[in-house]
Amino acid sequence: MSVLLTPDQTAFLQGTLSMNVGAVGRDGWPCVCRAQGLVVARDRRSLTVLLSASRGRAVLEALDVGSAITLVASRPATHATLQLKAASAARVGVSAAHRVASARCVAAFGAELERLGYAAGLSATLAGVLPTDDLVALRFAPDIVFDQTPGPDAGRVLARA
Amino acid sequence: MNISLESLRPCLDGAVPAVVATASPDGTPNVAYASQAHYVDSEHVALSFQFFSKTRENVLAHPYAQVQVIEPKSFRHFRLKVHYLRTETSGPLFEYMKAQLAGIAERTGMAKVFALRGADIYRVLDIENVDPRLLPAPAPPDALLKLRRTFVHLGACDDLARLADRALTALAHGFGIRHALLAMLDEVGGTLYTLASLGYSASGVGAEVALGEGLIGVAARENIPVRINYHTGDYTYHAALYVADPASPRIPLPVLANPHSQIAVPLAHGERLVGVLYAESEQNAFFSHADEDALVVYGRHLGALIAQLAALPDDAEPARAAPSPKPSGAPLAVRYFTHDHSVFIDNDYLIKGVAGSILWTLLNEHAASGRRDFCNRELRRDPRLSLPDFGDNLETRLILLQRRLAERCPQIALAKTGRGRFRLELARPLLLNAA
Repeated sequence: MSVLLTPDQTAFLQGTLSMNVGAVGRDGWPCVCRAQGLVVARDRRSLTVLLSASRGRAVLEALDVGSAITLVASRPATHATLQLKAASAARVGVSAAHRVASARCVAAFGAELERLGYAAGLSATLAGVLPTDDLVALRFAPDIVFDQTPGPDAGRVLARA
Repeated sequence: MNISLESLRPCLDGAVPAVVATASPDGTPNVAYASQAHYVDSEHVALSFQFFSKTRENVLAHPYAQVQVIEPKSFRHFRLKVHYLRTETSGPLFEYMKAQLAGIAERTGMAKVFALRGADIYRVLDIENVDPRLLPAPAPPDALLKLRRTFVHLGACDDLARLADRALTALAHGFGIRHALLAMLDEVGGTLYTLASLGYSASGVGAEVALGEGLIGVAARENIPVRINYHTGDYTYHAALYVADPASPRIPLPVLANPHSQIAVPLAHGERLVGVLYAESEQNAFFSHADEDALVVYGRHLGALIAQLAALPDDAEPARAAPSPKPSGAPLAVRYFTHDHSVFIDNDYLIKGVAGSILWTLLNEHAASGRRDFCNRELRRDPRLSLPDFGDNLETRLILLQRRLAERCPQIALAKTGRGRFRLELARPLLLNAA
């Protein structure tokens, strides 16, 4: 049985986030790719993370051959960060709702960075960097959730299956 | 590697956190943020080690990682395959990263959380451009051109005092720097003293900084350039707060209260540190990596010029000068404290240390013999002055003394009468009193 995400964790994961997905290739090399959208399932036991097929080739290949997955999601304004891990992830079809979720996530991320004083016009730049035209959706049910907010408590286990 | 690490230096400047992927021995991936990914050389980067984390545990067991960095203006992503080599917990690289992290921490609101435990050094094995279809960020202004313009404005100098001033005004023309100062190393006291400044309401000439303290002191102690891109609340790097001896009379450093960018580069001649060039700005990230490179070259050039000018021989005879008028009016009370060689005039602090000792010697010599013309050579040999065996030190001390007198007590002046020669000019009589 997977972790049941709390309502707060669910709200956080569907908020304004910088996200990255990690995996480990067959050769033992870890790899990472920026994710560009996330949808938590209604039962709060699984989630679907969206990334670009071309930008995330190594991560997708690693996951296809059975790598465990990790997702790190961080709110830029507060640095509040969660890390969720699971033994595997499965590709699922990309829906229109996924594309909407991705576009919304990227726009919110860009707007937040602009508010934080990064370059003006970053939202438009990010929409070019992270388009929704080659999205891949990965569903996984987290086995463990960590608090990864920077500080001495980073790495604390919040929930374990 | 098809992409050079040098070309990624804008990504390695603390503007956007890096992302580090590692693997535990059982193959579980971990992803974490690193506040600071720092360019070390063409084959190495250093990541800030701030907490005992899963990343650290993983790389110690399985030293292979992938680091994702971002070019700030274009937001192009790059991924670096890296191999962990070692952790440095002291020394120049550690000190540089510690200073820079102070700026990053403040900018990201993590000033109370971030502290550098070590600099984790990684060899870069491969670089991948994740976004090859995107255009690179516009190139920053050409630092080499800025340096060339600076040299043009610096021109030829045959006088140390003029060189000190022109060295700073040339920076305004070349780099658009509005606030800067030159601090010279006192080899004896382990301090630096301000010789010239640019763009402050008070010159701060004579202000001292202890070696190893503040950004200027760290740059001097480690003989490295140090650059902070953002405003920092870490008082360790507030140049203004550090003085050689808090109990002694002090001249405040004239620096900005809240700089958003700071850089300190050594003035070096060969292996010898002569001083530090410090510049700052109210703008974030005012100085780029390339500016740092250019200013390091400039610091070396200035160091060599200072050494070259100091090595020139004194003129044999003083230049003819019009006779000075006799001192008149109420006498000035000059008080000298032997323990720190400080000089007070009418109870106002003027100078201390070697420069104070020089002034006291000159005034006493004049009082005893009436002499007004002096030369550097005799000062170097004077047993009353324990001068270090460096010619430029004496010359810069005399410039410092001239400038402090001009600012605080123009009734006493040291007028240059040739290379290595000067004349004591008094507008008022003096009452000398040693404590």
